[in-house]
Amino acid sequence: MSVPVSTQKIIKNTLGEYKFGFKTRNKAVFKTAQGGLTAAMVKAISNRKKEPKWMLDYRLKALEIFEKKPMPAWGGDLSGIDFKKIHYYLQPQDRPKNNWEDVPKDIKDTFEKLGIPEAERKFLAGTGAQFESEVIYHSLQKELTKKGVVFESTDIALQKYPEIFRQYFGKVIPAHDNKFAALNSAVWSGGSFIYVPKGVHIELPLQAYFRINAENMGQFERTLIIADEGSSVHYVEGCLPAGELVSNGHKFTNIEAVKTSDLIVTDDGKHHKVKALMTRPYKGTMLKIIPVSRENSFRLTTEHPVLCIQRKINWLPEVSTKKLMATKPEYIPAGKLKKGDFIVYTTPTKTEDNEIFTEDLLKILGLYLAEGSISFNKSLKLNALAFSFGKKESEKNMAEDLILTIKKLGHKASITKSKGLYYTVISYSKNLIDLCLTHCDKGAHHKKLSQTIMELPVEKQKILLKNYLKGDGSVYIRKDYPSKMIRAGTASKTLAFQLQEIIARMGIYANISLPEASQDVIGNRIITRQDQYIVEYTENKKFNEVRRKDNNYFVPIKEIKSENYNGFVFNLEVKETNSYLVKGFAVHNCTAPTYSTNSLHSAVVEIIVKKGARVQYTTIQNWSHNVYNLVTKRAFAYRDAEMFWLDCNLGSKLTMKYPAIFLMEPGARGEVQSLAFANKNQHQDAGAKIIHNAPNTTSKIVAKSISKGSGRSSYRGLLKVTKGARNIKSHVSCDALLLDGASRSDTYPTMKIEESEVAIAHEATVSKIGEEQLFYLMSRGLTEEEAASAIVNGFAKPIIKQLPMEYALELNRLLELEMTGSVG
Amino acid sequence: MNITMNKPATNQAKKISSHERPTKVDVLEICDLHANIGKLKILNGINLTIRSCEIHAIMGPNGSGKSTLCNVLMGHPKYEVVKGSAKFNGKEILELDPNERANLGLFLGFQHPLEIAGVSMGNFLRLARNLNLKAAGETKQISPMEFMPMLKETVGLLKMDEKFISRSVNEGFSGGEKKRAEIVQMAVLKPKIAMLDEIDSGLDIDALKIVAEGIVETFKKTGLGVLLITHYQRLLNYITPDFVHVMAKGKIIQSGDKKLALELEKHGYEKFPKVDNR
Repeated sequence: MSVPVSTQKIIKNTLGEYKFGFKTRNKAVFKTAQGGLTAAMVKAISNRKKEPKWMLDYRLKALEIFEKKPMPAWGGDLSGIDFKKIHYYLQPQDRPKNNWEDVPKDIKDTFEKLGIPEAERKFLAGTGAQFESEVIYHSLQKELTKKGVVFESTDIALQKYPEIFRQYFGKVIPAHDNKFAALNSAVWSGGSFIYVPKGVHIELPLQAYFRINAENMGQFERTLIIADEGSSVHYVEGCLPAGELVSNGHKFTNIEAVKTSDLIVTDDGKHHKVKALMTRPYKGTMLKIIPVSRENSFRLTTEHPVLCIQRKINWLPEVSTKKLMATKPEYIPAGKLKKGDFIVYTTPTKTEDNEIFTEDLLKILGLYLAEGSISFNKSLKLNALAFSFGKKESEKNMAEDLILTIKKLGHKASITKSKGLYYTVISYSKNLIDLCLTHCDKGAHHKKLSQTIMELPVEKQKILLKNYLKGDGSVYIRKDYPSKMIRAGTASKTLAFQLQEIIARMGIYANISLPEASQDVIGNRIITRQDQYIVEYTENKKFNEVRRKDNNYFVPIKEIKSENYNGFVFNLEVKETNSYLVKGFAVHNCTAPTYSTNSLHSAVVEIIVKKGARVQYTTIQNWSHNVYNLVTKRAFAYRDAEMFWLDCNLGSKLTMKYPAIFLMEPGARGEVQSLAFANKNQHQDAGAKIIHNAPNTTSKIVAKSISKGSGRSSYRGLLKVTKGARNIKSHVSCDALLLDGASRSDTYPTMKIEESEVAIAHEATVSKIGEEQLFYLMSRGLTEEEAASAIVNGFAKPIIKQLPMEYALELNRLLELEMTGSVG
Repeated sequence: MNITMNKPATNQAKKISSHERPTKVDVLEICDLHANIGKLKILNGINLTIRSCEIHAIMGPNGSGKSTLCNVLMGHPKYEVVKGSAKFNGKEILELDPNERANLGLFLGFQHPLEIAGVSMGNFLRLARNLNLKAAGETKQISPMEFMPMLKETVGLLKMDEKFISRSVNEGFSGGEKKRAEIVQMAVLKPKIAMLDEIDSGLDIDALKIVAEGIVETFKKTGLGVLLITHYQRLLNYITPDFVHVMAKGKIIQSGDKKLALELEKHGYEKFPKVDNR
C-alpha cells in the first residue's frame, strides 16, 4: 500500500486525554505534589526518568536560576501564575512508547478523537489508498531509521543518544536565558528530539501534539532539532481539543466538528439548526453516565441537564411500565442523577423513501456491509467488488443467490473458489461499486450507512439488516421461551451506532459493547476480534428493563462514575428546543457559568540549522483560555542555512512568544511569520527576534494579529545587526486588524543596528474592520457575522495558505469558531 | 412634486423577448422618504417607483442626496430614516439588514467599491449567490463547477481578464476595473432592482462603453429594474432611460423622459428654478 507522503504523519507525544465525554481514562502513574517547586521534586523527576547525573545537575542549577530570577515586568500580566499550585510532572504511562502496538489504547483513542484519521479519510476519499495509522507509523518510522534520522521523545533520546544529546542540549537556550527557560530546564519532560543527518531531506512534516490535561498541570516540553549540513525537515506542533459524539440523525459527529447552522437531532427526534457551538475551560467533576449498553456511556459536567425520569422512592427495582409511562421525563442536572434513573434514548423520526432501494439492492448492500470489500485490481486497472463467504454448502448457496440478485439488477458477477476453498463473488460493475461506496463506504473500520439509507422506511431497513446479519450476525434461540437473541460484530464504531438506531426504529433497544480482543465463532468460522463492537438485541424478550414510548426509549442508568477534569468542554445552542443527543441520549444545552483555573505551558525549543540546511517549524496552538503560554523558541542558522518559524496562536490567557533566529554565518536566511488572535480576556504578546551576526544575511518578519471583543494583541520584535555584519537585508511588516473599538493592538519594534551597510524596511498597519467594508459585503447578501468572518479569513490567508492542508482547514475552522461570538 | 409615472416601459424593455420577460413584475416603491446623517437632513421626501424592465436615471448637482438615496435604500447604518417608507413588492424594507435586502433582490453598485484582502472574487460571489438562493428558499446550491463557467463568461463580457476571478475582491484593481467588477457582480447575482451609483465616474470612453453594454446586456437577459445615478448625459447615450429625474436638496424636482437629460446637458441646472447652490 502506498500512502501519499504529504498525508503521512507520526503521532507522538501526548499526555492523555482532555475532552468532554470520553471513555479514555487518564492513568497517571506518577504526579508531583502541589505546593511549589523544590530541589527534592526536581530530583524525584530526574530519578523517575533514570537520567544521567549531568542532567540532574543541570536541572538543579536551573532551579537555582529560576528562583533567583525575578518575574519579567514587561509584556503581559503574569500575576495570575501561582507556582505553588502547579503540578510540575505527570507521567501518563509507564514508559514512553516507541511502537504503535505499545501505545496504550487510551492514547490511541485520543488520537482517534483528535480527528486525525478522520482528516485523513476525508483527504483520501476517492483515492485508492486506505488509511491505517499503524501502517503509516511503521512505514514512516522505517523510512526515517533507514535514512539515519532520529525522531524520538526527548526523554528517550537522552537515554539512547547521550553523546549527541549532551553536545547540543541547552546550547541555543541556556537555562539562565530567562526565568521561564530556567523553569523548563529544571522540570522539562516530553517534547521531541530530531536529528537529521547530512544531506537527508524529510519531505513530509513530522508532527506532534501537546496538551495540558490534568488539574493545574504545567506542561514543560523540551524540543531539540538538529539539521545537519545540507539536510531539511519540517516539524509541526499542534494543540487541538476535541469532544463528544452528537447525533446528526444519520450518524454521530464529534461535537467540536459541529458547525453553526448544521442540522442535528434533538429530544423530539427532529432535525434542528445549531445556533452556536461554545467551548469553555472547565475544571471540576466530570460524570460518566453508563446506561444499559456500555458503549453509549457519555461524560458531562455536573450542571449539564439530562432528560430523565427519576426513580421514585416507592418504585420497585423492576418498575411497572405503566408507572413509567405515566411519568413525564424532565431535564435534571447530571449531578442529581442516580443509578437506576431512566435516561431517554431518542431515535430520529425523519423518514424518506427512495425508490432506487429495491429489495434486491438492499440485499446486496446488506451483504456488502458484512462480507464485502472493494479493492483495485492492478492488472485489470479496475475497481473490484468482492464478497467473501465461507466454505460450507450453505455459504455456497448464499453466494449463488447473491450472483443471481446482482445479475437481476443488470450487473455482471462471477463466483470463484480460492485456495482455502472459500467462495468469493466478484463484480466489476462500476455502477454497483459506486452504490456500495456511496451508501456503505469501505474498509472494515470505516463502513457506514449513508443518510439516505438511515432515513429509509423501517421495512426497507429491516431487509438490509436481515441480510447484513446473514454475514456478520449470529442467532441464539432460547428453548424455554421463544425469544431470539441476535448478535452482530463490526469493527466500525459509526456502523455500530447506526445499527443501534435502525434496530431502535424497529422497536428494540440494542446493546453495544466492546469486548477485549478475543476469538469468537460466528457462522462456524473462527474470527479473531480486534476491537469489535458487538451489537446485540433480543426479539420477544420476556422482560426488558428498557421501555419504549414512541421513538423514545427509557434506559436505566447502570452506573455513574465521577472523575476530575480540567480542559475544554463543549456545548451547543440549538434553535427552538435547545437540546441535543449525546450518544443517542437527550441532554439540554448547559447553562453553567464559565469557570476557570490557571495552567502554565512553558516550553523550550532549540534548533540548530547547519550549513546549507533548512528547518521549518510550524505551530498551531489553541490553548484553553486559562493557560499562560510562555514559550522560548530559538534557532541558530549557519552558513547558507535557512530557518523558518510559522507560528499561529489562538486561545490561552496570555501568550508571550518571540521565535528567534540567530544568523551566525554568511548566507544564512531567517523568516518568521506569525498570526495571533486575541479574543475577550486574552492577551497575545507575540513577535519575532532576528539577530544578524554575520555579513550577507537576510531576514523577513511577517506578523499579523487580530483583536476582538476587548482582546489585546501586541507585536514585540527585535531586529539586531551586530558590528561587522555588512550587506544585510531585512524586511519587517506587522499588520493588526481590530474587530471593534474595545480591542487593542500595540507594536513594540526594537532595532539595534550597529552597521551602516544595511537595507531594512519596516511597515506597520493597523486597520479596523470598517462599517463600509461590512456594508459592502452585506449588500451582497452576507450577514454581518459572515462578512466579518470573511474579512478575518482574508486577512489571515497569507499565513494560512502556508500550512499543511489539514491544519489550514483546522485553523480556518478555529477562526470561524472565534468569530461566532460564542467563545470566551 | 410627487412623481409616480407609470406609463409602459419603452426602449430596451421592448427588446426583452417574451419568454425571458419576468412573469412577475417586481416593484420598489419609495414614499415620502426622509433621511438624516447625524442632524443633517439629506433626503426630504423622495417619491419614486421602480419596476422590473424600467430604467430610471437620477441626475442632480453634487450634494443633492443622490448617493444617499441609494445607501439608505440598501441599509447603510450611517443614515437614519426619519420618515417615509420603501416597499419592495409590498414588503417594508427599511427595517431590514442590508443582507436581507440583498436577498430580496436589491443590488447596489458602489461609487467607491471596497477592497477586501484575501477574499477571492470567485469564492465571494458564489457564497453571496448561494446565500441569495438559500434565502429565496432554494434547497440546491450552485457548485463551483456550475458557477465558474458563468462567472468566466460574465467577466469576458466586461472585457476583464479571467484572473480577476481568483484575485481578492477589488484589491489592487484600477478605478475602471472596480466599476466593471461591480457590473460583473450585478450580472451574476441577478438582482431584481439594481441601483448603480455613479457607475460612470472615473471611466474612460472605452470603459464607459463596456460598462454600459454590460448593464444593457443584463437588463435584456433578466429584465431587472435599474436606477442609474449619474452626473453626465454621456452614459445615457449608451443606455436609454425610460425616466429621467432631477434631484435637488433631497427631493425630486422634475421628472421626464430622456429629453430631460439632454436639456440638462445643454443648459445645466440653472434652468431649474428650485435648484440653487447651497
